[in-house]
Amino acid sequence: MDEKQRKLVRKIAERLLPREERERLLSLKDQLIDEGFGYDKFGFEPESALAYYLFFNLLYKYWFRVKSEGHKNIPPKGRAMLVINHSGMIPIDFIMIAIDVMKNANPPRIARGIVDHFAGALPYINLFIQRGGSVIGSRENMEELLKADQLIGVFPEGTKGIGKPFSQRYKLVRFNVGFVELAIKYQAPIIPVAVIGAEEQFPQIGKIRWLGKLLGFPYIPVTPTFPWLGLLGLIPLPSRYHIYYGKPIKFYKRYSPDSAQDPELIRRLADHVQKIIQEMINQGLKKRKSIFK
Amino acid sequence: MKKKNKIKNTKKNILITGATSTIGRMVTEQFYFDKRVGKIIGIGRIDKPYYFNDYSPSRFTYMKVDILKYRELHNLFISPEFRDSNINTVVHLAFVEEVSRRDLDPHTLNVEGTKNLLDMCMNTKGIKKFVFKSTIYVYKLKPNSPAIIHEGWDLNFDPTAPQWIKDRVDADMLCRSAMENDRIDIVVLRFPHIIGRNINSQMNIYLNQRIVFKPMGFDPIINLIHSRDVVNAIQYAVHTKVKGVFNIKGRETAPLSTFLRLNKRKVIPVPPFILSSINALQWKLGLTDFYYPINKDFLKYSCVPSSERMEKILKFTPKNHVRFG
Repeated sequence: MDEKQRKLVRKIAERLLPREERERLLSLKDQLIDEGFGYDKFGFEPESALAYYLFFNLLYKYWFRVKSEGHKNIPPKGRAMLVINHSGMIPIDFIMIAIDVMKNANPPRIARGIVDHFAGALPYINLFIQRGGSVIGSRENMEELLKADQLIGVFPEGTKGIGKPFSQRYKLVRFNVGFVELAIKYQAPIIPVAVIGAEEQFPQIGKIRWLGKLLGFPYIPVTPTFPWLGLLGLIPLPSRYHIYYGKPIKFYKRYSPDSAQDPELIRRLADHVQKIIQEMINQGLKKRKSIFK
Repeated sequence: MKKKNKIKNTKKNILITGATSTIGRMVTEQFYFDKRVGKIIGIGRIDKPYYFNDYSPSRFTYMKVDILKYRELHNLFISPEFRDSNINTVVHLAFVEEVSRRDLDPHTLNVEGTKNLLDMCMNTKGIKKFVFKSTIYVYKLKPNSPAIIHEGWDLNFDPTAPQWIKDRVDADMLCRSAMENDRIDIVVLRFPHIIGRNINSQMNIYLNQRIVFKPMGFDPIINLIHSRDVVNAIQYAVHTKVKGVFNIKGRETAPLSTFLRLNKRKVIPVPPFILSSINALQWKLGLTDFYYPINKDFLKYSCVPSSERMEKILKFTPKNHVRFG
C-alpha cells in the first residue's frame, strides 16, 4: 500500500470502529519490526491487517458469531505458539482466531499463522498471507518469528486436518512433531487451542485430486454445495464458532534444548498436546447445544 | 562491552581484479584513501583507463592482465611490481555482470578466471586473504523458501538454470571448496541486488526500465544494497580477521512494488508465463538488458539475506540509503 491507501484504511477504521477497538488495533503497529517502509521482513503490513480486520470482523461478529474463552492464557508479550486443530476446507479458522486475538487478548497481539507450502506459489493468495502477518511454513520462518518474540499459530495436523471427511469431524489427525521441537529449542510456551464450529462450515464429502494438482492446490474439495453451485458454493455454512484457549504448556521448563533432538521424546510430547486439544474439543462439543448456538 | 574487530597493524597490500568495473573502480578508490592499505595493484582486460592517472604510482599500479590466460596471470604473480608490493590480499571482482555481452564467453571469465586466480593465490606464499564478491542469485528460491535466507540455504544446482546463474554457483563453490586450506582466509560475500549509478545489476536495470512488467499476483520482499555499501563491506572483509561465507544485507527491504513506486515507474502486471514471452521479445529486439529467465524466481518469491553473520562476525552495518526517483 502507498501512503494514500494506508491513510484511507485508517480513515475507514476511524469511521467504522468504536474508539476503544480502534485504539487497540492501531496499537498493533508498535509490534511491527519495521524494515523502513512500513513492512517487516516477512511482508507483514499493519494497515493491510487492519483492512482485513474490517472485513473479517463482519464474518466474526455476524456470520460465525464467534464465542471464545481463555484469553488470559495468551502471554501478553514474548514468543509463544498457538497450537490449533485444523478444519473447514478453507482456513477461515485461523482468520477467526487472528481476529479474536486482536479483539480480546490483553494487550492485543498479531497471531502469525504458519501456512502450508503450496500457498507460496499461488498468485494473490501468497500476498494475502504475507501482508496479514502469516508466513509460509518453512522451519526457518518459524525459527525467525520465535527469535523475534512473536506469537505464532501452528496447525500440526497440516492439510490432512483441513481435508478430513465430514464423518471424521473433530477427530484429530496425528500431529506432526516439529512444533514441539521448536517450542523446546526456543523456550516458547504452547497454548493449546480448540476450535469448534469450523468442521460444519464446509461438510466435505469428497476430493478431486487431479484438478487440485492442476491448479496448484493439494486437492479440490467436494461439498454438498461446491462445485455444484459454482462460487456460491464457497459460502460457508454460518455455524457458530467456539474458540477455547487452554493453559500454556511449558515443555522447556522440564526439558533442556538438547532434548529437542530426541525423536521419541518429541513424538511423545506431540501426542500429549494432541490429547489435550482432543479433550478440549470433546468438552466443547458437550457444551455446544447446536451447530448454530 | 562490545568486542572490537581485530585489525592487524601490518598494512594490507591488495591486488584487485576487475578494477575497471564500476565496483572495481570504487573499491580501488576506497582502498587508495585507506591509511591501513599500503600498495594496490589493479588489473583489468583493457589499457590503463584515464581515471587511474591521478593515483600516485608509489601506491597504485595498473596492469593489463587477462586472468583467463594462465601465462599472463603467472607473469603478474612473478612480476617485480607484484613482488615489490608484497601483495597479501586479493579482492576478486572480475565477473561479467551483463547477460548480453557477446565479446567474450562469460562462463570462461567467471569460472575459469576464478579458478586460475585461486590456483595462483594458493601457490603464492605471501597471500593471506582472498575476498570474492558473490551474489544472492546463487540461492535456489522456491515457493516454500524461507523469507530470510541464511548462508546455509540450498544453492541453485538446477541443471535447467541459465548459464549466468550456473557460473555464479560454480565460482562460489570453487571458493568454498578452497576454504579447507589453512593458509589463506577465503571470504565469500553474497550481495543482494546492487543499486547505484552505472551499476549494471539485473535489479538496477529492472527498476530503471521506463515500463516495467511485473508478475501478476506476486510482490516479493526484496533487499537492495547501495553500491557504496558494497565497497564498505569489501573493505570490512579485507581488514577484519574473518573467513567463510557471509550474506550481506543492504539497508532497503520492502516489497518490489514499493521500490517501483518510489522510482516512479509505470508498472504493468502480467501473468508470469506472458512475462517471459514479453521479455524474450524485448531481449531479441535489444530493448532491454534485463533477462527474465535468471530473475523469474526473484520476482515471485521473497529473498532477504540474513544479516546475522554479517553483524555478529563481520561486524558490518550498511549505512547508505538507496535514492529513488
